[in-house]
Amino acid sequence: MRELINMIVVLSLISGASGLSLAFLKQVTAKPIEEQVLFYVQGPAIKAVFPDAENDPIADRKKFQTPDGPVTVFPAKKDGKLVAVALEAFGPGYGGQIGVIVGIDMAKNTLAGIGVTTLKETPGLGMRVTEAKYQKQFKGLALDKVGLSGKGGTVDAVSGATISSTGTVTAANQAIAIYKSLKPKLEGAF
Amino acid sequence: MASVFQEFTKGLWKEIPPFRLVLGICPTLAVSKTASDGMGMGAAVIFVLVLSNILISMVRKIIPKKVRIACFIVIAASLVVSVELLMQAYAYPLYQSLGIFVPLIVVNCIILGRAEAFAAKNPVLHSAADGLGMGIGFTFSLTFLGALREVFGYGKLFGVPVFGAAFKPFTFMVEAPGAFVCLGLILGAMNYLTIWQSKRQGLPEPDLSAACSGCRACAIGESKQILEG
Repeated sequence: MRELINMIVVLSLISGASGLSLAFLKQVTAKPIEEQVLFYVQGPAIKAVFPDAENDPIADRKKFQTPDGPVTVFPAKKDGKLVAVALEAFGPGYGGQIGVIVGIDMAKNTLAGIGVTTLKETPGLGMRVTEAKYQKQFKGLALDKVGLSGKGGTVDAVSGATISSTGTVTAANQAIAIYKSLKPKLEGAF
Repeated sequence: MASVFQEFTKGLWKEIPPFRLVLGICPTLAVSKTASDGMGMGAAVIFVLVLSNILISMVRKIIPKKVRIACFIVIAASLVVSVELLMQAYAYPLYQSLGIFVPLIVVNCIILGRAEAFAAKNPVLHSAADGLGMGIGFTFSLTFLGALREVFGYGKLFGVPVFGAAFKPFTFMVEAPGAFVCLGLILGAMNYLTIWQSKRQGLPEPDLSAACSGCRACAIGESKQILEG
């Protein structure tokens, strides 16, 4: 009996101490990790979406509250005026969530382009949604007309990767929905 | 009991983990595509191994024998998560290239092997020296194997081209089979070297079939006897 209690106490103590120190470390590293992810994961996608932005969309980012949690919005400016915004949204893919940065041209109400951030799809099939040939189909689409060509839209899915293609389209529409709900707040914010 | 210095140096050659103990082969084969990948993985393993050896050695007297493996795993797993968080925060490109193999350090045989075979029975200082030696040996092996594969597979060393532009990369070396072939050749060369050394010193040929002579990783059975006794 004594041995049993001893075992339980020691194991609980060790697990408890580990848990506490990990929680502390997680808090300490949360901010640097966010910056690193912005720089290495979202940064390249944003550059692809806004190749000719005159400001630094990452440095000028702002967080907005939505009913589903905070959303980070990246602005692109030309001649000092806000012309487009980008935000990240997720859609279900074949191997987990697909993260897509969606750029929206505010004057024309069209897509400025998309860039993929997180992706765990099958190499050679689902991974091909990162190809320029697929992604450039989104450029210039009207905001309410984003869909796969099989479902009334104009985007041709990557052959053999319907789920991954649907995931990126879902993410794009998700971003558009967030954009529409935030639009009144966005114009004055940057 | 061997001196602290001896505990440290045995991991560098006599019991160098992947080549002598043939422990931790999974990361050795998987994360040695380039020399810098190998070195990064090795650094992560040094960190986890030294700290887990120190911590386990510190608590070795209060851990009940029956739940010791669970305790070791909890300690090693916490350290690995710490490494993962720190790497994400301060060395993101390394984190991206090591990928899944960072969390897998926790089931790396070296960590549990050293905990069970060494840290659970020895004082803190000796355990730290053992962990550091083994870690450096592991890092050296991974970097060496990585350099070999990178030089032939990409024609580069640490990202710097070593051959002229006319060099056609031997892509096989950076694929999975290349890792096996390389490791096999290195193991063979090490055995050959050992035999040659003892011949030169006039000693009888060492019995390499029992290559685990220097290793105490199999002492798990030994501690079982303590448990039963």
